[in-house]
Amino acid sequence: MSSLRLRGGLVIDPANDASPVVRDVVVRDGRIAALTPHEAVDDEVDASGCVVMAGGIDMHTHIGGGKVNLSRLLLPEMQRRGAEPFALPTNPLELASCGSCTPGTLATGYRYVEMGYTAAFEPAMMASNARHTHMEMGDTPILDHGAYVMLGNDELFLQMLAEGQDFERIRDTMAWVINATKALGVKVVNPAGISAFKFNQRKLDVDEAHVHWQVTPRQVVHTLARALRELGVPHPLHIHGSNLGVAGNIQSTLDTIAALEGLPAHLTHVQFHAYGTEGAKKFSSAAAQLADAVNASPNVSIDVGQIMFGQTVTASGDTMRQHAQSGLASPRKWIGADIECDAGCGVVPFRYREQSYVNALQWAIGLEIFLLVKDPWRVALTTDHPNGGPFTSYPHLIRLLMDKGFRNEQLAKLHPDVAANSALGSITRELSLHEIAIMTRAGPARLLGLRDRGQLGVGAAADIAVYRDHADREAMFSTPERVYKDGLLVAHAGRITAVPAGGTHFVEPAYDRGIERYLRQHLASHGSVNFDAVAIDHDELCTCCNGGRLLPAACFEATP
Amino acid sequence: MTDTSVNPSAGATRWTCPFCLLLCDTSTVQVGPSGALTLSDGGCACARRALARFVARPSTASARVNGRDCSLDDAVSAAARLLAASRQPLFGGLGTDVSGARALYRLACRTGAICDAAEGTALMTTMRATQDRGSFFTTLAEVRTRADLLLCVGGTPVDQAPEFFDRCGVGEALVVKRHVVVLGGTPADDAVLADLRTRPGVTVESIPWHRDLFGTVALLSALVSGRAVREAPAALQSLATQLKQARYAVIVGETRRLPPHGALIVEGLNRLVGTLNQSTRAAALWLGGGNGAGTVNQVFTWLSGLPLRSRAGPHGLEHEPLCFDAPRLLHEQAVDSLLWVSSFDPEVAPPSTSLQSIVLGHPDLAQSPASVFIPVSTPGIGSPGHLFRADGSVMLPLFAVHDDGLPTLAGVLDRIAGALA
Repeated sequence: MSSLRLRGGLVIDPANDASPVVRDVVVRDGRIAALTPHEAVDDEVDASGCVVMAGGIDMHTHIGGGKVNLSRLLLPEMQRRGAEPFALPTNPLELASCGSCTPGTLATGYRYVEMGYTAAFEPAMMASNARHTHMEMGDTPILDHGAYVMLGNDELFLQMLAEGQDFERIRDTMAWVINATKALGVKVVNPAGISAFKFNQRKLDVDEAHVHWQVTPRQVVHTLARALRELGVPHPLHIHGSNLGVAGNIQSTLDTIAALEGLPAHLTHVQFHAYGTEGAKKFSSAAAQLADAVNASPNVSIDVGQIMFGQTVTASGDTMRQHAQSGLASPRKWIGADIECDAGCGVVPFRYREQSYVNALQWAIGLEIFLLVKDPWRVALTTDHPNGGPFTSYPHLIRLLMDKGFRNEQLAKLHPDVAANSALGSITRELSLHEIAIMTRAGPARLLGLRDRGQLGVGAAADIAVYRDHADREAMFSTPERVYKDGLLVAHAGRITAVPAGGTHFVEPAYDRGIERYLRQHLASHGSVNFDAVAIDHDELCTCCNGGRLLPAACFEATP
Repeated sequence: MTDTSVNPSAGATRWTCPFCLLLCDTSTVQVGPSGALTLSDGGCACARRALARFVARPSTASARVNGRDCSLDDAVSAAARLLAASRQPLFGGLGTDVSGARALYRLACRTGAICDAAEGTALMTTMRATQDRGSFFTTLAEVRTRADLLLCVGGTPVDQAPEFFDRCGVGEALVVKRHVVVLGGTPADDAVLADLRTRPGVTVESIPWHRDLFGTVALLSALVSGRAVREAPAALQSLATQLKQARYAVIVGETRRLPPHGALIVEGLNRLVGTLNQSTRAAALWLGGGNGAGTVNQVFTWLSGLPLRSRAGPHGLEHEPLCFDAPRLLHEQAVDSLLWVSSFDPEVAPPSTSLQSIVLGHPDLAQSPASVFIPVSTPGIGSPGHLFRADGSVMLPLFAVHDDGLPTLAGVLDRIAGALA
């Protein structure tokens, strides 16, 4: 039994309050509780002058699994501070861990928590790499976590679709994979394109047939989205669309939205999918078109994948596109892989340059999307860490979104043609703290179906960030005064104060187990592991995750 | 290989073999009346040899300090004293699984130890090539399903991975025609090829070095790139053509068989794969990291951000793939204590050294002249665990065959760390 009162802070809790309100937040035994102001608590904290929000939730950040670890292996020179190695932590609660764009899991946990985040989700877990992914997330301290399993490029799914097998069998197969890998959702990456690259296809438009299976990305997207809807998985299909990074790919993005036919879906890192072909350089912003489509499609949510200038590494399952981009690698080296008839990966280091027209326009496009999409509940704040930039740049990004003067100052530093070819300079919108709270906690929680997270209502998990209100929003969001995880103080003024193991969010949709016989046969004839070794049960998940709590999310009542 | 499913019969235990690079998981283990362990399908030579070192009875092995049996508590205290007095420990061997690796990292952070695996040099061969230029790799199911040309460089990997060609589906109908080429093989490899030749749809070829491995790889790369080459042997010219015409060529190599400066070979072949991928599809499959080394390397990399041959030293987290080479550090007495871990294989014994040392491992290592010896459970025999397969993407669960009564490595390491406090 422990209790805590944060007294007199400006509470910004968009899930429960229409606007910010000065009130107390009370915690009892790890949950938000209702107490009268006079009831005694174990710990009373003066939060006046502070902004109190739920802990941040990053719903799309590459924090664990094969391609993340390959990034670390590929780039030891980035796991230093210039000429010097990363210094050892002075805090005895921390173990040594280093890196900037792909830190070790330990540093990832510490740095997120120091910024007020309490949950992060790995968006691209391969089924064949699920144990590894859970192990890494389990070694990411403090943060709750979960992962979306990649489907839509595995040869079995494509074969079933190509053979015209009953939709219910495909749906059951998906449910089996979600259960086996302890995923929270499903992501499709370049629908059918990773597989197509294995058959030496180098490009795949939404209505173009996979050279071997003769199915189209449109079919893949629609089938996956429909199945998740019918399975009642709260987070709808998470889509990394076709033709990532290609000038003119806005058409693919619009075609992908159309392929949904009204089914719910989440389009991820849309900044990389909102490019036109206008202008002398045949590369232009299609942010307005994208925003119009999102504004007109209430079934669609997005995260942005903002780019930030500087060195990073792009780690993606999209082997087809990463191979195509590998010539731009900086430094000039990259890793690709074909993996287990399941998916693939491509790791390409990259430096975004302010004086590059393309990079600078990418930066502007991301901000345009943030500011042109009207409903903040359908926009999550991400850099697609590390692909657009490291998660540690979020405070800077928040300032760009909240401070027009600062934004325009930055715009003026870029390649001069960008301001002329971007609508950004003319956009006057400045996001409010309320909107930032939606995009960084309340919205992601709702999009993921995490009912007791991202909010400060009675009964919610006491994941709380207390920020000193500061006109410089970058400074404010860099170092919260206090961060609580399940009611435990885990960071104080930028210093980690406790390192509990985070919990794992996952879903367990129901399905007809008759499909297992078919899957067993398929794996025996095409796979490389024993069918019985594929599924991770609760005990094993607990081992993977260092004893962190298991947090199954409820599925909704399916309406076929 | 036609069926990967297992239906354990009475008294048999589902099993993943931790003793070779492939983590075969289609057999069950049967415990005989004497405690002998046998496999349902007989198993490969590697598995049989390894299982012969275990008996399904509670272990009677005792911890030892200075050659004398003692309690676990005393051995833990002695190990902690030894590490506390050490200015620069070296953690070597590193034969363990994920759980052991997690604990090793915690202790390495506490002690500032340099960590290098028993076959660290072979591990660094592929790593350094990757760090320099990257790679394009593949995994077993991809090879099984689609590879129509397998090029084994420097021989076939059947010593370290006896079931390799079966696991790759060579002779299965999934790929109607497969060509298996050995470059620079031995008569033993020719015998392997002779067997493969009898399988449906399989053709084989053995091509000798052109002078040496380095020269051969350079020449083959030039031929594949279409550069003018004078007096190239016909067999290599033909091989270059086959590589370019293959739908999915896979280059297979064992890192431990590479000569000094083998990273140059790996890099050359990785580049060759890159060239092929401009027009067709190809990938590399480097096999190594056995005895837990590959797994420990992955775990250290994700925890710290840096792979093995690193330390949490006075200046910070340092990675030195050349300098932090265990045999060299021991030879030069650049370290003053050794903690050696070998949970899987007692033949992976600590190097001879005059330094104070701690050995944590298989009970058969009790006779090693270590200051402190603590027998630990073998993951996949006496305790459950997790290992990565050699292709690096698939991590599989290991199952306990019996309760050997020994502590896990992680349990021992955490106790030592606790005693350091």
